[in-house]
Amino acid sequence: MSIKKTKESFLPDLLSRETSLNGKSTIIEKLRLEAQEDVKQTSFPGRKDEDWRFISLRDLYSESYIPASQVDYTLPDISEYFIPESEHARLVFINGAFSSDHSSTTDLPDEVTIGNIADIVEDDGHFLEDHLNKYGDFEDDIFSSFNTAMLQDGAFIHVPEGVKVDTPVQFLYIQTDAAEPYFTTSRCLVLADEKAEITLVEDHVGLAENKYFSVPVVEINLERDAYVKHTKIQRDSKQALHIARTAAHLKQHANYESYTITLGAKLSRNEPRITQREEEVEFTVDGLVLLDGDQVSDTHSVMDHRFSHCESHQLHKCVINGKSHSVFNGKIFVRKDAQKIDSFQENRNLLLSRKGLVNTKPQLEIFADDVVCTHGATIGQLDEDEVFYLKSRGLNEHQARELLTYAFALETIENITVDSVQELLVDEVHNYTSRTLEKQPVS
Amino acid sequence: MLEIKNLHVEVEEDGTKILKGVNLKINDGEIHAIMGPNGSGKSTLAKVVAGHEAYKVTGGDILFEGESILELDPDERAHLGLFLAFQYPVEVPGVTNKTLLREAYNTIAKERGREELDPLEFEDYINDRLDIVEMKTEFLDRSINAGFSGGEKKRNEIFQMAVLDPRISFLDETDSGLDIDALKVVAKGINHLAGEDNAVCLVTHYQRILDYIVPDKVHVMLDGKIVKSGDKDLAVKLEDKGYDWLTDLASVSANGEQQ
Repeated sequence: MSIKKTKESFLPDLLSRETSLNGKSTIIEKLRLEAQEDVKQTSFPGRKDEDWRFISLRDLYSESYIPASQVDYTLPDISEYFIPESEHARLVFINGAFSSDHSSTTDLPDEVTIGNIADIVEDDGHFLEDHLNKYGDFEDDIFSSFNTAMLQDGAFIHVPEGVKVDTPVQFLYIQTDAAEPYFTTSRCLVLADEKAEITLVEDHVGLAENKYFSVPVVEINLERDAYVKHTKIQRDSKQALHIARTAAHLKQHANYESYTITLGAKLSRNEPRITQREEEVEFTVDGLVLLDGDQVSDTHSVMDHRFSHCESHQLHKCVINGKSHSVFNGKIFVRKDAQKIDSFQENRNLLLSRKGLVNTKPQLEIFADDVVCTHGATIGQLDEDEVFYLKSRGLNEHQARELLTYAFALETIENITVDSVQELLVDEVHNYTSRTLEKQPVS
Repeated sequence: MLEIKNLHVEVEEDGTKILKGVNLKINDGEIHAIMGPNGSGKSTLAKVVAGHEAYKVTGGDILFEGESILELDPDERAHLGLFLAFQYPVEVPGVTNKTLLREAYNTIAKERGREELDPLEFEDYINDRLDIVEMKTEFLDRSINAGFSGGEKKRNEIFQMAVLDPRISFLDETDSGLDIDALKVVAKGINHLAGEDNAVCLVTHYQRILDYIVPDKVHVMLDGKIVKSGDKDLAVKLEDKGYDWLTDLASVSANGEQQ
């Protein structure tokens, strides 16, 4: 049962279809209702909005979607997506709903609170109230409001003061096949107290090639001296629409390291937003995007330097094949009095095909005078001298191009410290290069 | 082994004529040196033999073991046993020396009907070859030429030659940019690798490397032609007298006849 939606009523209509949430938990309900109002009041973005001018959302709103809670599915074995390092440090969500059967957290220290947001609300609602929706300062952002308006299940982890968690934690979001397109949201809240350390793997997996609309929101708070490593892998269905928000707040001496790997989805949008809350912090917001066919991937990042002494690093690499389209808009804010900022930003694009498209826009707004901000953007093809060099060593055209593409992509994943994730991504890069090069015999 | 016959070459892009009738024959077990000033075409000759696509052969032929290789891609020529040590070795960040060499070695081995080596066997083989150019094992795990000094890059070229064991190697200005110690190491490596069933062709601007590697034949290239050939004494004469005394020869030998 589906009815065509107009652009403005698109998200409010989706919300009205999800009726299963009504009457659950007062704290969440309050947030939900406020957010529902926000969704109604906020206009849906279009190409006239500066932040949306490079991509079209027509594919998204011209379709009709049912709530994920109404999808009938038979679940195949999903254990192949479990990271071995996180065998007992894993939360699994299937079409947005928490699956306790597939989750296990017994490897984590007792002091760590981890679980489904909906369950945590029951146990300790007031604690959650102090943190939930407090870090994702996405003003006037209809998609994060939409996510909050759907708030129910979600991943929660709280690492208290001084606890260093060695075991990496996997948040696995499985999207199943379905007869109709569906919409789903996922929420994640990560709290790292003073001197806490945690490694997270946020993993979005599409099991089939069906269409769905996924809106994940991740909020991360780092207190003083906290260290959070966050790898996001987006391997959604090639027909999926993935519109994501990630917010991180950092206090003094905190260090946030994030690597976002975009492989799937027909249309994906990532909006990492890093906010410095005190002096002397460090963060990394690296990204790797591998596109093919008619995929579109858009990254709009904000690195907000509000206090002095910050080292920030952003290396965003994209490989574009077929008729795919990559967008990068990296905003770097350095507020007044935020001195001694050392910020590095680079967007490198490797175009493998003639019909690929790249839009890149570094955007620096600096209101302090003692800062070093280096930024750059490049768009290029494989270097023919490098190809000749490798061929003269006996590698054929295919091997040479594959090796060079692989080398280009590798730089962004070699810092990921979870071995199986790094191996997985190396395999993904190999698959991508051999697949794209086969399709396109080089002249 | 290799025979170049009346080779004419121009730049693919703009038609500039670079080689204007080069004749050269290199036999098994020989070391040749091609000398000449900048712009004489000697580096182009080396690249054309390797199959660089920026150049177009407009006349003549290159024969390897009696068969023309003009239609072959650079990798197919490498499979036959041709090797080019680059004047400016390319940096390939992200690909380690070891990765490239194992893939290259096994590809060539397969084409030449030799046994491919598994990673452990290859490790033994490659460590053995490192000594030839006095390189440390760490070199293997570094990205190809990325951040290497000029001398390290040149040594790495000779190391690759040592691993791939080619039939004929063109070494393009391998001596340039080397200090005397590095030059000795490189020369020693080349002497070690030169044998009865392979051949080496040094392409060089200076006579300096020939103090350490004694060539069987020396050729002088001027304006796209080989204008004079001789033995090692010719190199010494060039060092003393420069190239000017040969420029007249360049204008008379219309299609590069010599010998």
